Amino acid sequence: MAYITQYQYYENGGTPPTDANWGSYQYVSLFDVVNNFMLMYQGNNSLVNNEPRYKILFHAKRGIQELNYDAFKEIKVLELNVCDNLRFVLPDDYVNWVRVSAYKDGLLLPLTENIQTNYSKAYLQNNDCSLQFDVDGNVIDTESQIDADRLAGTKKSIYLNQGHMFDGLEGYCCDGEWYFDYSIGARFGLNTETANVNPTFSIDRKSGVINFSSDMADQKCILEYVSDGMENGDNSKVTVNKLFEDYIYAYIEYAILNSKLNVQEYVVNRARKRKSALLRNAKIRLSNIHPSRLLMSLRGQNKWLK
Amino acid sequence: MINSVRNTVLAILNKNNYGYVSPSDFNLFAKQAQMDIFEDYFTAYNYYVVKENARQSGTGYADVKKGIEEVIDMFSEENDLTHDTNNKFFLPSETTTGDDYYFVNKILVVGTPTLEAENVSNKNITMLTSSLLTSPTDLFPAFNQQGNSVFLYPTTIDTQGNVKCQYIRYPKPPKWTYVSLSGGEPSFDQSQADFQDFELPNEGERKLVNKILQYAGMSIREIQAVQYAQAEEQIESNELK
Repeated sequence: MAYITQYQYYENGGTPPTDANWGSYQYVSLFDVVNNFMLMYQGNNSLVNNEPRYKILFHAKRGIQELNYDAFKEIKVLELNVCDNLRFVLPDDYVNWVRVSAYKDGLLLPLTENIQTNYSKAYLQNNDCSLQFDVDGNVIDTESQIDADRLAGTKKSIYLNQGHMFDGLEGYCCDGEWYFDYSIGARFGLNTETANVNPTFSIDRKSGVINFSSDMADQKCILEYVSDGMENGDNSKVTVNKLFEDYIYAYIEYAILNSKLNVQEYVVNRARKRKSALLRNAKIRLSNIHPSRLLMSLRGQNKWLK
Repeated sequence: MINSVRNTVLAILNKNNYGYVSPSDFNLFAKQAQMDIFEDYFTAYNYYVVKENARQSGTGYADVKKGIEEVIDMFSEENDLTHDTNNKFFLPSETTTGDDYYFVNKILVVGTPTLEAENVSNKNITMLTSSLLTSPTDLFPAFNQQGNSVFLYPTTIDTQGNVKCQYIRYPKPPKWTYVSLSGGEPSFDQSQADFQDFELPNEGERKLVNKILQYAGMSIREIQAVQYAQAEEQIESNELK
């Protein structure tokens, strides 16, 4: 697409939303990627020829998806209230989570993913434990005990938070020291894996929700996540960071050569190496490692307590 | 050029007393010969592309492919496609665009910017339209061909003036016209309304003579005329290689 004027950039030509073009110069559009590839890398006298544009489009999108998963570092952030149902519905463009935090008293508290499950599906059973079916022969679902307890706030937790199994237990004061009852198999010392006072969560991917422990009720949750960059199917909004532009061309070229008949192995290998090298270069560039940043970290190297 | 071709053909035939070709026969042979040569340009184009890929062709004056491309582009036309119903448009034809198409090079969806629609085979179009990543959109439109029509995708492309086609048309049938007979011979008259010269470049004259000679030789059952023309054609073909 054409370059835009500064007025278009800052004010979108006076058309709302006026911030539509902010930062757009960092990116190259999907349309340009496909168009440039068709023009520069495809055709007579090129390694890739007689390939339909939809194949180029497919590989371009696949490449962009892959970049979005890790290389781009373009983290989306969404804040939602967690109500009594202790549930956070995953965003419509969610692919994977980066961090889940609770926002409380002006502080962002990073939450720990529960190493145990905190949700379950359950089937309705008779007293003899046999299952109950509906007229269509399907087993009847019911609320699981674990979900009911979690929602009621009676589910115990192995984490050192409000729901911990020893939280609120009475102890004995003897000779000025407090002693508490422990179950059989009690352990001494701290299990650091579960030593977190914050609420915990567990992600039910298939159901598309994050289930929280009961102490998260009525709190704000901030989800940092990655998407695949497909912008809900709106091709005009799909973009690639310019640092990765050359990589995308190399990726498309490799993907096509790799699946094409009668392409010599050395040609495929060359394309593969070029693609990998360009990805590495782009990642290094994007990481923005430069001396002044290192200096700030290195200044603290002689401190004993960090 | 048509008169010159005709005179040459008649001269060769008369010189050897093979016979005479009437104007109507000549026009039939001329049309056929022109079509043969026209189609050969596409085969030759591919031949030189393959040579180029094998690094066996040069640049500048040695770039034969470019010359062929220029000849083919002489028949290039760009016209609006006539809308039928929904996303269906008629392909170029005598009735819609004024000329029949030989080869649809590209179909353009008019807009800002004007975009090229991609030709998708009937085998793939159904899968393509149901594909999540690659289904045709306003930015990446597609079309498929059925009979004398094309179907544009996305189906919102459905209005007259929305779709243009750049295509290679067939050359117009040549017609050697005359007005009166003088001394038993028809006299060439290019001012006639239905006069049509050959549309091929001048370098095609020799090929035309040879082709027409072959047809004429067949017509008058003179095998020597056919063989002579074939031999000439072979010599010319060898010169190109």
